[in-house]
Amino acid sequence: MVEGRGFFARLVRLYLPLAVCLVVMLFPFYWMLITSIKPNRELYSAKIMPLIVYQPTLKHYYDLFADTNFLLWTYNTMLVAVVTTVVSLVLGAMVAYPLARLNFPGAAVVAIGIAATYLVPQPLLFIPMADIINRLELGNTLRAVMLTYPTLLIPFCAWLLMGYFKSVPRELEEAARIDGASRFQAMWRVVLPLTTPGLLSAGIFAFTLAQNEFLYALIFLAKSDVRTVPVGAITELIRGDVFYWGQLMAAALLGSIPVAVIYSFFVDYYVAGLTAGSVKS
Amino acid sequence: MTQPTQSQATRRSFLKLATAGAAAVATGPWVSRHAQAKPVSITFARESSYVKNFDVHFQNVMAPAYEKATGIKIEYQIQAAGGSAVPQLVSMVENKTGADLAWVQQEWLYRDALVDVSDIAEEVGKQQGGWYDEIKRLSIDKGKWKSVPNGNIGQLMNYRKDWFDEAGIKSFPDTWDEFLEAGIKLKAKGHPFGMSMGHGFADNYSWLYPLLWSYGVTVMDKDGKKVALDSSETAKAVEYVKRLYKEACIEDCIGWLDPHNNKAFLTSQISCTNNAYSIMVSAKRDLPEMGKVIEHALNPKGPTGQRYHALVPVTHGVFGYSKDPQAAKDFLRWMMDPKQYRPWIASGDMYFAPYLHGFDKVPEWDVEPRVKPFQKVLETGKLTSWPAPANRQHGEVINRWIVIDMFTKAITGTPTKNAIAEAVSQIKAIYG
Repeated sequence: MVEGRGFFARLVRLYLPLAVCLVVMLFPFYWMLITSIKPNRELYSAKIMPLIVYQPTLKHYYDLFADTNFLLWTYNTMLVAVVTTVVSLVLGAMVAYPLARLNFPGAAVVAIGIAATYLVPQPLLFIPMADIINRLELGNTLRAVMLTYPTLLIPFCAWLLMGYFKSVPRELEEAARIDGASRFQAMWRVVLPLTTPGLLSAGIFAFTLAQNEFLYALIFLAKSDVRTVPVGAITELIRGDVFYWGQLMAAALLGSIPVAVIYSFFVDYYVAGLTAGSVKS
Repeated sequence: MTQPTQSQATRRSFLKLATAGAAAVATGPWVSRHAQAKPVSITFARESSYVKNFDVHFQNVMAPAYEKATGIKIEYQIQAAGGSAVPQLVSMVENKTGADLAWVQQEWLYRDALVDVSDIAEEVGKQQGGWYDEIKRLSIDKGKWKSVPNGNIGQLMNYRKDWFDEAGIKSFPDTWDEFLEAGIKLKAKGHPFGMSMGHGFADNYSWLYPLLWSYGVTVMDKDGKKVALDSSETAKAVEYVKRLYKEACIEDCIGWLDPHNNKAFLTSQISCTNNAYSIMVSAKRDLPEMGKVIEHALNPKGPTGQRYHALVPVTHGVFGYSKDPQAAKDFLRWMMDPKQYRPWIASGDMYFAPYLHGFDKVPEWDVEPRVKPFQKVLETGKLTSWPAPANRQHGEVINRWIVIDMFTKAITGTPTKNAIAEAVSQIKAIYG
């Protein structure tokens, strides 16, 4: 369809739609950027063009670093996201492999149970979770969220990885088994390398979910020095009915940079992950 | 004779052991009492203050002073604004762990988990001019004080005096009818009112409930047993709000949450709204020219000839699950001592108006004269449950925005009679 002859045809069928999509996708980031560098008087002025910054300032960034624990929150967020992503990928793969490859009694029930776990809303779970965390005396520690986030991430990773594992031809595994590999060795040396795109894709999703999670972080991390960025920003940059928009947007923009960098390196795997398992082999 | 020696040795050992054991039992409680008498730290949870200096004063002045005086470290746990504090508080109570004392928002949900602080509240009241009666209806449960009132977040009409003057309105309207007339004039000049009617927590209740009360309507009767909303006066109040919205207000305001009216006012979209004085503080800081022309006024009077205001209470309670409730109470008592309390309140620019008559005429109110009306709020201020008790059922009516939705449904087309009937039916189902 986009292979029409001539520049005009390509312009209408390809470049213009792409340009529109680009504007729609990138506009929120542009808005965040200009809000973070606009002085407050420009933010509140309805008389000037809102898409242009007339007197840019770095004051909001300065206030963010000087008046809040933003750097500490960022460190906490990254640490929690990395640890929970690794744990979720490992355990998710351990759940997904037998469900994808082995036939055993109760496999369907286990698969449905894992999916059902993911569907239970967090507002129903936070009180019993808080009870467990408090009994383990993990309240106000990062270990609290490192333990609870996998309850959200493992089902998701397992579901995603099942599709990838099913796409690996059984014959490859069987060949490895014939050559003397154990079930685990076949998984480790044959299946997992072939499903690297799936692991990366699941990892990116898990990292993003862990980074943006709010409710458990709000309940379990009450002290400022253990907070993550979502909770810290809300607590200290929204006071009463006033939003410190400049600092909020600065925090949101800075927080999205690591994820944007990761996505840019692994975008091919991410796109492949969107349709994982959709075509039967 | 070795055997008698062995027996003596055995008896001697037994006696030594028994004596040591008895000593341990006798001194154990003393040791454990003294080991517990002074906790290492006390955690105090409170929603972040709009006036940041209020939190800064606590963290940098009060907490270190208490630690120096008693050796007990105060952990100040700031909670997110906008409704997040209540789930945290409920979680603490359900799991019996968390802060030792807190701003106990919606305390009717967990009063049984709070310790009796009557000794502190009565002492503070006696010392500082006595408490306003209305707040006692929140803090006293079954004859005991379960929380100590700290201050009221006043909600008043915030308006642009320059635009009102331009429209020929030299003084703020005294009645709701005059308020409507003023709104019509100002909307015609491109400066409509913006009265929040969405699912927020303060700026909607702060004018709609006082309006109802000024029409002689309450949601429940005094005992909280009979729904009193179903009346012809309610219908008149609803018709008034419909007219106000259509003829005087900006369209969006029907769905506004608490931050929206601030934003609309500061971006010069509206000339009047009901709010705390955060709008003026933001304007003075970021938009100095606008900051000079913002004024505050009491809510208008209704057909009853009375005006009312909604209280937004800040009360502090001590949780029974605390490892040392007495230490937490001692800290609360210290916090409410005028030597600490008065400078703390002043550090917040009187954003939190003390519920004590001793503060009615303090000079701190004169620092910014436009803030003085917020003290007047206490004279006609009522809890949103008024005149009924502030209990779980009232909390459910508030948290489901039943009365707010009654107005917005009528505005968006539901016949007034049906909107009222639906609200009454929902409230009856809650109260049983």
